[in-house]
Amino acid sequence: MQRIVTMGLMAILAVPGAAWAADAAGGGDLAKAFAVLAAGLGFGLAAGLCGLGQGRAAGSAVDAMARQPGAIARIQTAMLLGLAFIESLTLFVFVIAVILLFVKS
Amino acid sequence: MEMIEHPPILHIPAIPDHVLYTWFVMAILVVVSLVATRRVSLVPTGSQNFMEMVLDQFVKELDETIGHEGRRYLPLIATLGLFILTSNLMGLVPGLVAPTANLNTTAACALIVFITYHVIGVRKQGFIPYLKHFAGPVPLALKPLMFVIEIISHCARPLSLSLRLFGNMLAGHILLAIFFFMMGFDGMLGWALSGTLGGIAVGAPAAVVMVVFVVGFLLPLKILVAFIQTFIFCKLAMLYVAAAVEEAEHH
Repeated sequence: MQRIVTMGLMAILAVPGAAWAADAAGGGDLAKAFAVLAAGLGFGLAAGLCGLGQGRAAGSAVDAMARQPGAIARIQTAMLLGLAFIESLTLFVFVIAVILLFVKS
Repeated sequence: MEMIEHPPILHIPAIPDHVLYTWFVMAILVVVSLVATRRVSLVPTGSQNFMEMVLDQFVKELDETIGHEGRRYLPLIATLGLFILTSNLMGLVPGLVAPTANLNTTAACALIVFITYHVIGVRKQGFIPYLKHFAGPVPLALKPLMFVIEIISHCARPLSLSLRLFGNMLAGHILLAIFFFMMGFDGMLGWALSGTLGGIAVGAPAAVVMVVFVVGFLLPLKILVAFIQTFIFCKLAMLYVAAAVEEAEHH
């Protein structure tokens, strides 16, 4: 039952997206299609791998905080800096995806 | 992007949006500073108390990162931090534009940091000794290689500094725009108001779910991101200045 409800909700959320995609596919050429494909695949890959990396970093930081509650402030600073560095790689991909999608060549 | 994005409330055709809203941020900061420093008293009250509390955070971070000499660089770091924080938070108000969601603004901030920490390093230490430090503590044969690698890494700093802030702000902006589009009159709400049976049965609950999701989860997340990105930008600027200053103290 729960699964059916979930699937239905997802299908509902997909309706405007599908209509939108059909709208956009009308006048596009092959390069535009590949640009959209590359943006989606590339950003999905980047987001997934960034999640793995940030998960490792945050997990280790929480581990360290549990062992050394006195050093929580400094560990937090280091963790935030590390997360920002990991995340910036994803954001490079995001910028490239935006350029692919929205800049007319 | 033009399809889902509405133009901001105040839009002057001859002036780009991010420049106009940069002036707006500047006006806010100038007014707040003037009000806070109009009657400076030893025991602060009201807005002076607020500004002292904010600047105290910057001073604490500076002392922690650079050391006893850090307070000299408070004007640089605090100005950048207050500007970026105000811009980030302004992007959350519907109808206003975050100046930091444009690469030109963030690149300007990053270039200021880049040039300033090199100038600080050269003034502390002289031009030739500062250049020598790029080669690092390696054997003589490896020094040219180290020098080139270090130059590249220094050039990557403003790039990553500006792209990180810009990417975060633009990503949040586009996410909110897509959600507002999907729950607005072109999306779920329009479907619910269209009078069809499916619209009333499905569109109306979906619109409510989306509003709750945006207000309860996305906007708090964006406030958190605005503060964290400001912190990261200032912390990295402090670290770069600290590296330039520390090298001087070794010799």
